[in-house]
Amino acid sequence: MVLSKNSGGHRGMQESMYSVIALVFILVACVELCDAAAAIDVYRLIQYDMSGSAYGSRFAVLNHHAASLHFPPGADLSRAVLIIPLRELNITFVREYINQKKPLGGLLFLLPDIFSFENGGNKQVHEKEKLKNLLAELEQLLIHANIPYPVYFAFENDEIDTVLVDIKKNDAIGQPATATTGGYKLVIPTPEPKKVASPTITNIQGWLSGLKVDGDTNQLPTIAIVASYDTFGAAPALSVGSDSNGSGVVALLEIARLFSLLYSNPKTRGRYNLLFGLTSGGPYNYNGTQKWLRSFDQRLRESIDYAICLNSIGSWDNELWIHVSKPPENAYIKQIFEGFSNVAEELHIKVGLKHKKINISNPRVAWEHEQFSRLRVTAATLSEISTAPELLQGTGGLFDSRQFVNETAITRGVKLVAESLARHIYGHQGKNVQIFADGGSLAVNPAYIQSWLDLLSQTPRVAPFLSKNDPFVMALKKELADHTDEVNMQHEVLEGVFTFYDSTSARLNIYQVASVTFDLLLLLVLGSYLIVLFSFLVITTRGLDDLISLFRRPPSRKVKTA
Amino acid sequence: MTMFHFFNCAILTFGPHAIYYSATPLSEYDTLGTSVKAALVYLGTALVKLVCLATFLKVSENDGFDPYQELLKAVIGFIDVAGLYFALTQLTHRNISQNHKFQAVGLGWAFADSVLHRLAPLWVGARGLEFTWDFILQGLEANANLVLSISLAALGSLMWLRKNKPKTLIPIIYACAGIVATMPSITSYLRRGLGWHFPKVVGFELFTSLSMAFISWQLFSACQRPSS
Repeated sequence: MVLSKNSGGHRGMQESMYSVIALVFILVACVELCDAAAAIDVYRLIQYDMSGSAYGSRFAVLNHHAASLHFPPGADLSRAVLIIPLRELNITFVREYINQKKPLGGLLFLLPDIFSFENGGNKQVHEKEKLKNLLAELEQLLIHANIPYPVYFAFENDEIDTVLVDIKKNDAIGQPATATTGGYKLVIPTPEPKKVASPTITNIQGWLSGLKVDGDTNQLPTIAIVASYDTFGAAPALSVGSDSNGSGVVALLEIARLFSLLYSNPKTRGRYNLLFGLTSGGPYNYNGTQKWLRSFDQRLRESIDYAICLNSIGSWDNELWIHVSKPPENAYIKQIFEGFSNVAEELHIKVGLKHKKINISNPRVAWEHEQFSRLRVTAATLSEISTAPELLQGTGGLFDSRQFVNETAITRGVKLVAESLARHIYGHQGKNVQIFADGGSLAVNPAYIQSWLDLLSQTPRVAPFLSKNDPFVMALKKELADHTDEVNMQHEVLEGVFTFYDSTSARLNIYQVASVTFDLLLLLVLGSYLIVLFSFLVITTRGLDDLISLFRRPPSRKVKTA
Repeated sequence: MTMFHFFNCAILTFGPHAIYYSATPLSEYDTLGTSVKAALVYLGTALVKLVCLATFLKVSENDGFDPYQELLKAVIGFIDVAGLYFALTQLTHRNISQNHKFQAVGLGWAFADSVLHRLAPLWVGARGLEFTWDFILQGLEANANLVLSISLAALGSLMWLRKNKPKTLIPIIYACAGIVATMPSITSYLRRGLGWHFPKVVGFELFTSLSMAFISWQLFSACQRPSS
């Protein structure tokens, strides 16, 4: 009995010992946590290889001192991070640094609040446009350069503003931060970026069957409405692409909803099948669209009357463009264009026709309809952009945020496309009939457009970073399934021309550090203080003689031994 | 570099105690046992104070100065005085003169106070990359605390251990002891009620500790004269 009591007591002792040891370990470990002057979210510049050439920022880890644009000329910046707010950006300066490959520890760009989703308000309009253009230019510069140091983007907030003011003050005095002079240190502890293995692109299609009259064995003709939903920008964690191509996706969903209402009743079901396609791989020469079309049955492809591709219809005032690759004299193109023009006139919209010939040997595909045309399907792209964009341009970058998209523009665009399609399907060409009139049960729903646009403006959609079962892709599939009879998803691997690297966002810690000279000075001061204290105490309590005797070897001993 | 800062602050906070022990005759008479016992008594009083504070004090939402709470804290602070009384009178010390007894007790008391209140923040905070002046100020505060503890121990030994005191000095002794004992309340009033910043408060503490040390030294030597 006594023994068990003792062992129980021992066990209790052991347990408390373990808890004490655990507590000690925790105490030792939790030094580095949350002791920074500021900690903010930062987003890394994209890192990718295209046809073997490296582009973007090749490094992610950061552990250097901070410097501002007011650094003294001739200062060595190879171990400093330049913090540049967008408002003070001089694009020629950055271009010079990057093109001449001047050594730098890192770059941190501070973006104004208007580009973030939460805080963008209706600030001064003229400033918005200027900043937007500047940011677009900066983005194009950065994504086509090979930068051997980390480049990050962050949003301005109070903490980092105060830090930057301090840094500027120090730089103005002529004392840039280094290990011996103190200042601010920026630390981003993130692992080295790794390649994204087999990036997938997912195409989602929805099929709305037309009315088949009994006894009619021919395949019904099909009209396709397509929009690409993925983006590409300088900061993949911020590439929300509200206009390119969030507006197109929203318009497609709304058109699908309207036609599903019409087709739900057999009396109003048209004699055309409708095929809705949300494709991925848009920025990469519409790679996804090509794979999607190649997967079609020959009969299906031949049954497509025409396809309308939607690309950036969110920020136009009064003019839209229809881009085609077949010559305008072609009968089908004429029919499509006339149908759109008639509706546009009634809606007080100006619609222009632009023809761009396809060059089969050139791999560049500027518009989505070109992929259809290469397989001999009549197609056109409706867009607010008048000239064909270059590769990786206009694909929804940093500047393409919610602020610059207008729901009314999308609503009008939806009305234009829906009315034109309906007139073609139901054979009302030339007649002044408003099927989707305002106020009716088939009116375009602005709340639906706004809520989907808001969602899209908060979701970065760079294809290699969207997994097969990404919640957003699933949400698109579910929405399309609500409006169509049959939904299919097609998973493909992005072609080998592009390779992407991960590590797109991180947390930046800003520490205010003292220099080594300060520590040495402090040690000197403390040492002398302690020595003075010691001498003072010895003198007051034991007398001056004792102090002196501490340093002199007592001579009496030697005399004794002798 | 940051361990360097930790080392600097550590020697500022704990160095003076070691220096005091080795510089004065305390080391010659080997009074370490007394200091250790005083430190243990401090530990005990700290636990008792903690329990009393937890039982009687309300947790206030704002950081302002609440006179009733502060009065309660001051009353509980007198448990400190009781602990010091216990350490000075009830513990059995080796045969050391009164002069050295109060110094040893004060030293042990101040050392335990510094370790309990300042070691953990120092270990966790001073080793990080971020630099603040707080730990240096904390070290200066520890120095002031050392001086105050020794003067309180001196006044305590005058009050309780010395039997024949000049009549005129007795009220002064008690007054000074009262002031020194209520120092924590005074500093918290300055910090919260008047809103003084930490460096100012530390400066005030240093100044008062030096002046109280001087006064208690004068009182001690004044009381010593009749007996000698």
